[in-house]
Amino acid sequence: MEYAGIVQRRRLSTGSKSEHEGLVLVTSSAEYALRRQGGNPFWDEELAPLEGKRIECDGLLRGHQLIMTRWKVIEG
Amino acid sequence: MPADKVIVTNVSALKAKYGKTYPRVQAAISRLVVADRKRGLTTRLLALDSAADMRSVKGVAVSEGLDQRQVKAAIDAVHTALQPEYLMILGAPDVVPMQELSNPMRGDGDDVVPSDLPYACAAPHGRNPRGFLGPTRVVGRLPDLLGKGDAGYLVRLLSTAARYRSRARSDYQEYFGISAEKWKGSTGLSLTKLFGASAAMETIPPKGPKWRDAELERRLHFINCHGGASDPDFYGEPARREAFPTAHSAKLLKRKIANGTVIAAECCYGAELYDPSDSGGQAGICSTYLYDGAYGFFGSTTIAYGPSEGNGQADLICQYFIEAVLGGASLGRAALEARQRFAAAYTHLDPADLKTMAQFYLLGDPSVHPVGAVSHALARTKAFSAAFKGAKSSPGTRALRRERLVRTGTNLQQTLGAVERARRNEPAAVKRLLAAAARESGLQEIARESYAVEFPKGVQKGELKIFEKARRSRSVHVLLGERAKGKGKARAVTALIATVQDGELVHLRRVHQR
Repeated sequence: MEYAGIVQRRRLSTGSKSEHEGLVLVTSSAEYALRRQGGNPFWDEELAPLEGKRIECDGLLRGHQLIMTRWKVIEG
Repeated sequence: MPADKVIVTNVSALKAKYGKTYPRVQAAISRLVVADRKRGLTTRLLALDSAADMRSVKGVAVSEGLDQRQVKAAIDAVHTALQPEYLMILGAPDVVPMQELSNPMRGDGDDVVPSDLPYACAAPHGRNPRGFLGPTRVVGRLPDLLGKGDAGYLVRLLSTAARYRSRARSDYQEYFGISAEKWKGSTGLSLTKLFGASAAMETIPPKGPKWRDAELERRLHFINCHGGASDPDFYGEPARREAFPTAHSAKLLKRKIANGTVIAAECCYGAELYDPSDSGGQAGICSTYLYDGAYGFFGSTTIAYGPSEGNGQADLICQYFIEAVLGGASLGRAALEARQRFAAAYTHLDPADLKTMAQFYLLGDPSVHPVGAVSHALARTKAFSAAFKGAKSSPGTRALRRERLVRTGTNLQQTLGAVERARRNEPAAVKRLLAAAARESGLQEIARESYAVEFPKGVQKGELKIFEKARRSRSVHVLLGERAKGKGKARAVTALIATVQDGELVHLRRVHQR
């Protein structure tokens, strides 16, 4: 599936054992916790530069989580 | 025909998944049935999708394999008719679905809580976890790989179960215990309770994920780390900053795990069964452990909870499971006793407790006894041997234990309360107190939620009548707050939980993020 939106930083899984700061993709209809296939699901340095950028990507949606297999910055 | 153990599965789903290789799976199931017979267990395979099988238990065959209501009703019919001492669900959730319960911790990132808890309860299908507070059945799931028809994988797990052997408790006394550094106090407490000391505990950082063979070969693994959905690794966290180094990795486990290993993992998503294609082909840690010869894995399907200091939620239910295993219980009884002990420890379950009950479950054959029971001296006498035809324990003992477990579960179902989200607001005095406590704790408020505490109808019997009025007026109010970011300090979310009765505050606790 292809998705597009702006990458923002959020506090995720609040109050749980695994609460953490992470990136989300804010699309026109929803917000997904963002990660890279094979990357650290909590904080991935490879994705950090995407914060604040508009991207389009392919990925697998698992619950509220979007596992990206490809992405491209379309607006910095 | 009665059965000590019942294996339930969806045969048409297995045939569709495995195609030409299904006969290999079928043969492995037959070998398990034969092996059980040699151990004195009568085991029956029941196809939930078979009209004939389901007619034999006065049930209705499942026509839509993933219809949770149908599957729950079919398994209930099997259990009611055969009353097995062990119920083994065979297959991943794409063969026999989990029951998707509503998430009591709404907003934490999980839409639902996939759960096997309802299969351990006599209560009918429902989505509210509050309906399943009284588990009575010994249940475990021997999974295959989700999505992938890998017969070799499932045959191997069935073979491990067929060939299992009980070992001395001393074989499980040396443990592999790992913890996020941030939670070492809590993990150390758990390990000390279980083993008398926590000196062998390793923390991440600085250790992990390349553990020594000698460490991984220990047969008891206790893991308190972070976990992510559809992810084949667990993660640590330093004590004083937010970072998540890899702690434990599925790809580093292959051929390192000793036959008979038992694992309790407190991690979020620690026992999630996901499609390996989600992570580039790597199956999850729980699936990898089982493939490598582990007997059982006790863990969570979703985001889990626990306090930063002391023990709570995930810590406790995992401790109870391991304690029962070390005491000689079957894996399935250990899982049931862990659920019952956890539930029984409270007057009512708050949202995090309720989610804990729903999310932790057993992966493995529930009839496996990793630790052999130590028989009484009387069992070595000629009279005992003559009375019980040479058996080391009286055959009725298991039935008596089941009766006790059913009584405990029934009592819980009839008496235990749990929270239900309510629209009411906290009393003004409690609102002020929570605000003051938040200020004093250096918290900036994120959210508030209020709950009523609901008890089963007809519970006010005997001396419980004394508490009727107080219970009716009981409510729980939660303030979620975030600590201000100070120099050198990580951000941390804290929950202040107030219990109110008759408009008066009766209990206040502070639970830190893990």
